[in-house]
Amino acid sequence: MDYGMMLSKLAGGMLTTVAIFGLTLLFSMPLGMAVAFGRMSKNKLIRNITKIYISIMRGTPLMLQVMVVYFGRYYLLGLQLTSSYRFIAVIIGFSLNYAAYFAEIYRGGIESMPVGQYEAAALLGYTKGQTFLRIILPQVIKRIIPSVTNEVITLVKDTSLAMVIAVSEMFTIAKALASSSTSMIPYVAAGIFYYVFNFLVAWAMEKIEHKLSYYR
Amino acid sequence: MKKRIISAMLITAMAAAMTAGCGTKEEAPATETAAESGTEEAVKLEDDTDAPESEAAGAEKSGDTFTVGFDQDFPPMGFVGEDGEFTGFDLELAAEVAKRLDKEIVYQPIAWDAKDMELESGTIDCIWNGFTMNGREDSYTWSEPYMKNNQVFVVKADAGISTKEDLAGKVVDVQTDSSAEAALKEDEELMNSFGQLVTVADYNTAFMDLESGAVDAIAMDDVVASYQIEQRQVDFVVLDETLAAEEYGVGFKLGNEELRDQVQDALKEMAADGTLAEISDKWFGKDITTIGK
Repeated sequence: MDYGMMLSKLAGGMLTTVAIFGLTLLFSMPLGMAVAFGRMSKNKLIRNITKIYISIMRGTPLMLQVMVVYFGRYYLLGLQLTSSYRFIAVIIGFSLNYAAYFAEIYRGGIESMPVGQYEAAALLGYTKGQTFLRIILPQVIKRIIPSVTNEVITLVKDTSLAMVIAVSEMFTIAKALASSSTSMIPYVAAGIFYYVFNFLVAWAMEKIEHKLSYYR
Repeated sequence: MKKRIISAMLITAMAAAMTAGCGTKEEAPATETAAESGTEEAVKLEDDTDAPESEAAGAEKSGDTFTVGFDQDFPPMGFVGEDGEFTGFDLELAAEVAKRLDKEIVYQPIAWDAKDMELESGTIDCIWNGFTMNGREDSYTWSEPYMKNNQVFVVKADAGISTKEDLAGKVVDVQTDSSAEAALKEDEELMNSFGQLVTVADYNTAFMDLESGAVDAIAMDDVVASYQIEQRQVDFVVLDETLAAEEYGVGFKLGNEELRDQVQDALKEMAADGTLAEISDKWFGKDITTIGK
């Protein structure tokens, strides 16, 4: 197998990986915020439901969750499955799972804000919404960036779990190429692709961190 | 205010995507295109990487396509060829059959341990991938066997193992949910004599294990073993003593006799006019098919 063809196939798979990565982040970060609010809610019912959701999402394997989302549509809802649903199921499964993790990160950040901030804001006449958006949230973002970076990098590598419902992302393709060419080189190439992508992600997050540390 | 609008939009987009996934059968194509246009980029990227299947996605349920589920880490039956396309003995047979049935062939690589769910939920029409019939007769609707095979043991040439007895106390690899695993489970005495029985997800891993010395033997299909040994040009041998003799067939969802009969007839035709022998010759150097003999 010539290297050019192998690299182009892996690059194609990388596009799928990046797509899964981008869409999952796009959906799970806002959803995580909503879940975090639910988790911190004064309403006992909402709080408990969110606690159960977070517990299940973090407590079961992501691979299993993706399979449930994909095959569940047929086995539980009785609807036909289509080829395009594979990718959608991956995004749904990943987003739901990562939302739970992000929710806990957000909650940790928000609850670590000193009460003094809220008191000062109340004194200055900010409404609850304004307090959150203008005072609390910017500080929370600064505080949680390292944790979020962790999750994001984990997500890049977790995309390989999509292979369980046969979505051809990069690692699946690397496996297939390695099998047919009976060599290890596709794995090495895959490793390099992942590392380069993670390096870019980590570098971007560091830049953001740097920009936000305007008081240091 | 701006942030609120953006977050509201994101939440709606997400909700739309999720409800699209749960639409009714009739609505499904329509809502899926709505979700798809929202995630246009992603679907286009998906199309680039799975070109063969997305073309057929629209016609999938209307009987115009013949979707073959296979393990893409299983040369020479189904794997990624030199040109980057799916190829293999079984896949070529399937393509010929699809041509004769006037259907479009769709190659769908699947995770082997999810094969039953894929077949039952209808994402694939059949499993055609060096699929052993023995031991699974009641779980699928089968075609006539089209090839004979043996489950054998592959060992290093200099390992000093030449009989099944020599395997006592050794570490043996099998693929999860393979017929080698099933055959070993039936031959309890042999299985218990092993030092350890390890299950792996695919044969590439198994061969890496054997090469590196992590395991002493692999229990697998003779046909695949011979091909792998030739490809890798390693000093492996296949033990003369076989584990089990078996036959390959095409597996359909239990009860799907209509499609099975169609494929069956096509295969018989191919056997009669020599195409079957031709394809077998191309891949194995001789005709090892069993239909019509």
